[in-house]
Amino acid sequence: MHELVTIELSVNGVARSLLIEPRETLAEVLRDRLGLTGTKVSCDAQVCGACTVLVDGLAMSACTYLAVDADGRAVRTVEGLATDGVLAPVQQAFVDKAAFQCGFCTSGMLMAATALLEDNPTPTREEVVRGLEGNICRCTGYVPIVEAVLAASRAGDAAGAARIEQGSENSGGAR
Amino acid sequence: MIPRFSLVRPHTLDEALAAFEATGGDAAYLAGGTELLQVMKLGFAQIGTLIDVKRVPDLKGIERRPDGWLRLGAAVTHREIERSELVRHELPALAGLELHLANARVRNAGTIGGNLAFAEPHSDPATFLLACGATVLLASPSGRRELPIDEFVVGPLFTAREADEVMISVQVPPAAAGEGRSYDKLAFFERPAASVAVRLTVRDGAITAATVAVGSVGPVPALVAGAAEALLGADAGGDGLEAAVTAASGALADIEAEADLNGSADYKRHLAAVLLRRAVAAAIREAQADA
Repeated sequence: MHELVTIELSVNGVARSLLIEPRETLAEVLRDRLGLTGTKVSCDAQVCGACTVLVDGLAMSACTYLAVDADGRAVRTVEGLATDGVLAPVQQAFVDKAAFQCGFCTSGMLMAATALLEDNPTPTREEVVRGLEGNICRCTGYVPIVEAVLAASRAGDAAGAARIEQGSENSGGAR
Repeated sequence: MIPRFSLVRPHTLDEALAAFEATGGDAAYLAGGTELLQVMKLGFAQIGTLIDVKRVPDLKGIERRPDGWLRLGAAVTHREIERSELVRHELPALAGLELHLANARVRNAGTIGGNLAFAEPHSDPATFLLACGATVLLASPSGRRELPIDEFVVGPLFTAREADEVMISVQVPPAAAGEGRSYDKLAFFERPAASVAVRLTVRDGAITAATVAVGSVGPVPALVAGAAEALLGADAGGDGLEAAVTAASGALADIEAEADLNGSADYKRHLAAVLLRRAVAAAIREAQADA
């Protein structure tokens, strides 16, 4: 019988107690034990960002993060972004800006963007680009992703509100 | 999957060292895991027991010692260094380096001690800390020893650390009066293609002391004495600087260089020469802002 460890953690706000092997990564626990397959594993070497999740608010590569290190911590995944079926602003901005094509990087992009915006609600374009460095997308060319994150930022909200006030923004219903 | 291992999570340094001894040597110290877990996952290392040192207080914290040296706990993350007000004030080039190291996820998990102990030839901190004259403090059941970076990093992925030694901290000397320290790199991937660190002192408008370190170009970060000597005596603000920097760049022409994914040996030497010019300018700016 191999060594097992009990971990107590919160996943998307739900308390979980799990008996796991020390070698299990957070990505394996999320996907295989909890069925949260929104977290994708691509490079498995923490260079692509597809597996990005938040641990106590910090972006981590779930593929190379031991689940035991999440003991006592709050983990957030893409499944936790929407509230009662309503997309989070950053998710809605990805839809509005067509910031994904194949979608495989999207979960990680959304979580990296969430960490970025929680840390810095009014990022400049350069700060968004730098914040998403290490999240790789092979489809979009990144421009719509950066646009979406800027649109979801507080600055984006303000700019959007200003445009609406000036009557130059199409209403959502017109799309 | 990562091959099976036993995990020990000690709360004190003595517990950590005892845990290592108890395994008879089939163990390794674990901090951020950004390198070690990768190596294990790829099958390059089979390790019976991992000793997680993230809870050991001796390895935590960033502080200025009474003698002015900056002390960084080995288990301090890159993010903690980047965001430390003390580091931003005392050693801004290190805070800037950390801000641009790898990606946000690696910075959130990876530690300064793990980075140095892994001794990847493209390490950002190793090159900068080498130029700064920094040291690492190691502890084992038989005692402690402090090594300068150039004695610690002895080859690619190879350090002077014995298996039973754990890194406690990194120490960086304070800037002398009129001293500036800078680091610049060019990176296409997660790690630099080439990087240069410069530490120099400007007195009465002239460069009176200089150290140049080049990283990512050869198998280990290396001090380039010829480049440093070429800068000595140069007028930090005048026409003489251009000639001195050109001579210093020339001294990089025959440094040890290895082709890699970033390009040929000659290309990387060329990058180093360009970066040297920028790093010298930045170090002079800091030295004169300080004066």
